[in-house]
Amino acid sequence: MKPRDAYAAFVIWVVLTALGEAFVLRANIYPLAGNEFARDVDDAFRLLMALAVPVFTFVVTVLVYSLLRFRRNGEPAEDGPPIHSHRGAVWGWFAVTSGLTLLVMVHPGFTGLLELRESRHQEMVVAVQAAQWSWNFTFPGRSELEKVKDLKLPTDTKIRFDVTSRDVVHSFWLPMYRMKIDAVPGRVNSVYVATEEAVSYGENVNVRVQCAELCGTGHPRMQVRVEVVERPEFDAWLAEQEAG
Amino acid sequence: MAATALIARTRDWAFGPILRGLLTGLVGFSLGAGFTAGVRALAGADAIAFGPVIFGGYWFGLAGWLLGVGVWRTWAREWLGMPVDWTMRNGWQRYFDFTTDHKVIGVQYLVTFLGMFFLAGLLAMLMRIEHLTGGQVLFSPSQYNYVMSLHGITMIFVAVAAVIGGFGNYAVPIMIGAADMAYPRLNALSYWLAAPVPVLLLATFFAGGFDAGWTSYPPLAVENRDGQILFNLAFITLGLSSIAGSINFIVTVTKLRARGLSFGRLPIFVWGVFAMSLLGFFFTQYVAAAMMMTLLDRLFGMVFFDAAGGGDPLLYQHIFWFYSHPAVYIMGIPGLALALEVITHFSRKPLFAYRWVVGGILAITALSAVVWAHHMFTAGLSDIELFFFVTTTELISIPTGLIFLGALGTIWGGRLWLRTPMLFALAVIFNFLIGGLTGIFLADVFTDIHLQDTFFVVAHFHYTIVGAGIFGLFAGIYYWFPKITGRSYSEFWAKLHFWWMFLGFNMTFLPMFWLGLNGMNRRVASYPSDLEALNVVASLGGFFLGAGFLVFLANIVVSWVRGPAASANPWRARTLEWHTSSPPPVENFESEPEVVGHPYDYGTPGAVHAMLAGAEEEGG
Ligand SMILES: [Cu+2]
Ligand SMILES: [Cu+2]
Repeated sequence: MKPRDAYAAFVIWVVLTALGEAFVLRANIYPLAGNEFARDVDDAFRLLMALAVPVFTFVVTVLVYSLLRFRRNGEPAEDGPPIHSHRGAVWGWFAVTSGLTLLVMVHPGFTGLLELRESRHQEMVVAVQAAQWSWNFTFPGRSELEKVKDLKLPTDTKIRFDVTSRDVVHSFWLPMYRMKIDAVPGRVNSVYVATEEAVSYGENVNVRVQCAELCGTGHPRMQVRVEVVERPEFDAWLAEQEAG
Repeated sequence: MAATALIARTRDWAFGPILRGLLTGLVGFSLGAGFTAGVRALAGADAIAFGPVIFGGYWFGLAGWLLGVGVWRTWAREWLGMPVDWTMRNGWQRYFDFTTDHKVIGVQYLVTFLGMFFLAGLLAMLMRIEHLTGGQVLFSPSQYNYVMSLHGITMIFVAVAAVIGGFGNYAVPIMIGAADMAYPRLNALSYWLAAPVPVLLLATFFAGGFDAGWTSYPPLAVENRDGQILFNLAFITLGLSSIAGSINFIVTVTKLRARGLSFGRLPIFVWGVFAMSLLGFFFTQYVAAAMMMTLLDRLFGMVFFDAAGGGDPLLYQHIFWFYSHPAVYIMGIPGLALALEVITHFSRKPLFAYRWVVGGILAITALSAVVWAHHMFTAGLSDIELFFFVTTTELISIPTGLIFLGALGTIWGGRLWLRTPMLFALAVIFNFLIGGLTGIFLADVFTDIHLQDTFFVVAHFHYTIVGAGIFGLFAGIYYWFPKITGRSYSEFWAKLHFWWMFLGFNMTFLPMFWLGLNGMNRRVASYPSDLEALNVVASLGGFFLGAGFLVFLANIVVSWVRGPAASANPWRARTLEWHTSSPPPVENFESEPEVVGHPYDYGTPGAVHAMLAGAEEEGG
């Protein structure tokens, strides 16, 4: 072990980090994002990856460099240097990992919670009742009994879903809006989704409601194709539901 | 009867203890079941209802089994003032007996839980066949849910018990210079309590299976098929075994350390087992309570988790995760500590920043008590709860980082000997790095909302529990194989197994991060066909991973039978288990060991960890 090793490893780390950052910042690994909130979640995901890259490459560099540089063919004849600790390295490590942790805790940790809180506005309330194995929706101005099994939503509307369950625990997941809340018997959990453009399941499979909590035999197929349509079309559809 | 029992022992049949246990277990079960049915008949209820009769019979059956297998002979007679019989057999028969030797118990745990590991692994192969296409391949959805649930809980039990039960038992007493565990009979009891667990899990097949996953949330777990009852009983039983084992480790490490072995000189693996025993002791009771409350709801109409009756399904989730978050450390930390142990000896350099690493493990132990609700971020928690659990969960990164500091600081500038245990130990660090970093995405509510209950979570916990816990288990198997068997394994086949497992593991689980992010929820027999391509990659990786264990089994079996003899200390490692013969004698050391220095003083000429009274200094 010479200073040369530290320099070499440092250079490798910088190069790997640059490559890694170039990859995670450009790679489009995300599913369709249907609104601003979803895009913000993806940004947070990307930021966490960008912060994880230097940590990942640091550990991998030290591991692989040591593996190649410090390996012995066969049983080592002598011991390594008796280094028990190193004040600077330890405190440096502690400071950097603590700093990164606090950073992530504040952003996107706390800031994400704030955004979640600020997203709570509604222009429309939809009651959602989960049951083995279907989703039942009650739209504004309707009685509980008038439930619809497929789901159309109007564009550019802030919607609150009041989610509960009739039997076991389910989970109401809208992948394209990065939103999910459990449907728990005896409780009403609300989530807020602001729709934007028109889009339908036919265009992308993540335009769906999917049950995400294991609920028995029908769990994987406990899904509803969603269609986000312009307001007039939505109103016509709703009227049709009433007539039917 | 006392005298005849003593005489009979010496000519006992190999499977005598187990057969007697089965017999008394059957008697106990009949008594309990009959009693339950009788009470129910008197109360005017359906007398032979499956659930209550099984439940009532089980506890008496379990007591009968334990008495018959050895508790009566070695222990209970003492309570009645009768002489007890401690004679243990010497040959292979001791592995089928209520043996108090911690080394035998360690091997019993290892073999039992490796068997369960392979069984659950085969179930995983079936699941990967099902996932070859988005539609139906092998199973109906309910069959898939059963296979998935059985795979899950079996692997969870393996992860909880294999390293601690196996190597904790085998190695910890020797590493601290003790002759045995503090409570040898309690130790035997722990194992024979665990032995019915795989039987119960397999018996679920005959009770209609169960389909609520290893987490088994009510109300589903109260309403589903009756296999669930056996699941709940199995969880409680393994819990009792864990609590007994944890008490034993805590007392053993506290009271039986060799002269001179201060806590500041404790090998890091012992620290790992000790800290996780604290968790096992304090927290296992909660999951047992959750299981028992589920049973009471199901069988006797109680309403702990029934919203309609005034209960709350979320109550279960809180109690369950109050144990099960600490439990993920019980599954992961022993493997990590074992990896650090191996890395140190095979780098021939002191464990870097030993005190900080120990502090890290203890900080994780403490913090693990206050993070449980991060498994419930989408359950409908209040903002203040979300805020609290994000904060505590993120904080765990800091002590976890110290474990990486220890590993990296040790190998840097060391003299690396890349034998198979070392390769597995380094893989633990690599895998746990991925598992740890992806955990941050789940610790943060904002990103977790989307990822919760998807394959992203599946990938994450396989990287931590398999990547650290199970890779650590295999590091331990190769590391201590010469000590346990007195023979050497084949290095070539062992290295082949390592690379095979390492590549197969990453090929299986890396694609799952993307799958989860892109809309594949977990615990599904079918999924959107857009996600087929990477599912096929994961499945092929899984089959490859599974096939690699044939190499492992062949190597281990052949080497155990006729591998070349191993010396007392083939690795020239410094901890105490390498100061005695391979395999060690019954009470571990020919003479009393005395610890005079740190176990990791590599590179310091003349530094000595321990001396055996009357023997020449060795292992310096
Ligand atoms: Cu559902
Ligand atoms: Cu957790």
